[in-house]
Amino acid sequence: MTNPESSGLPPSVVEEDRLRADLYDILAALLARPPARDLIDRVSRLDGDETPLGSAIGALSRVAKASTEKAVEREFNALFIGLARGELLPYASYYMTGFLHEKPLALLRGDMSKLGIARSPDTKDPEDNIASLCEMMAGLILGRFGEPADLTTQRDFYAAHIGPWAGHFFTDLEGAKGSVFYAPVGAIGRIFMEIEREAFRMGA
Amino acid sequence: MTDEKARESRRDFLKLAATGAPAVAVAAVAGGTSADAAVPGGNADGKAAGLRKTEHVEKYLESARF
Repeated sequence: MTNPESSGLPPSVVEEDRLRADLYDILAALLARPPARDLIDRVSRLDGDETPLGSAIGALSRVAKASTEKAVEREFNALFIGLARGELLPYASYYMTGFLHEKPLALLRGDMSKLGIARSPDTKDPEDNIASLCEMMAGLILGRFGEPADLTTQRDFYAAHIGPWAGHFFTDLEGAKGSVFYAPVGAIGRIFMEIEREAFRMGA
Repeated sequence: MTDEKARESRRDFLKLAATGAPAVAVAAVAGGTSADAAVPGGNADGKAAGLRKTEHVEKYLESARF
């Protein structure tokens, strides 16, 4: 693991990396809890171009225009909370081993401590849930946990904790029975994970 | 490919692939609504970092963003 402090990178973050952080942030905001009316409204004002990512953003915007806060909350609960459990379990441990609280969570905790990231006392969810991981990636890119992390650090974190499973999760989210608002969220995540994988392959 | 070249082609690729959404619009959407599950913790090498943001400061910055 590279110490961000010795990376020698300038503190400024280039535009493409800001955009990556923005995408991670919006995924985190939508997946951490049911979005409030204000966030749904802001999502509805988004506009995308003809690229696959742009069309997925456009689709989310259209669905958001037609969604009530209550309906999105019901959908969120059916997908992630449920009576016993939701339709999906958005945890690295579950997707990588079939069980919660397994070795992937332990490895993540080790890396978080190396990178100077602590779990907020406000959350009870295990740290390896998709929203927290997206938030951590955004934080590493922008330097919310210290200096911005260099690309090698970002790539290692992505490869260990997100790359192996997040694409599968977002594909599941896109196709889930209960997904309406969250179907385009799944599409955005799936496409973005492909972009991330390809970009890290090109140079880090 | 040199590191510099690789970095450039990565940036070019991201420009093409990831700019389907206007960055500013997405930033405005996510701003101030962070999932808040991760906060800056102790420093990587364990030494007290003078510039380390405390969770309190982080929360303030989070709420002041936009």
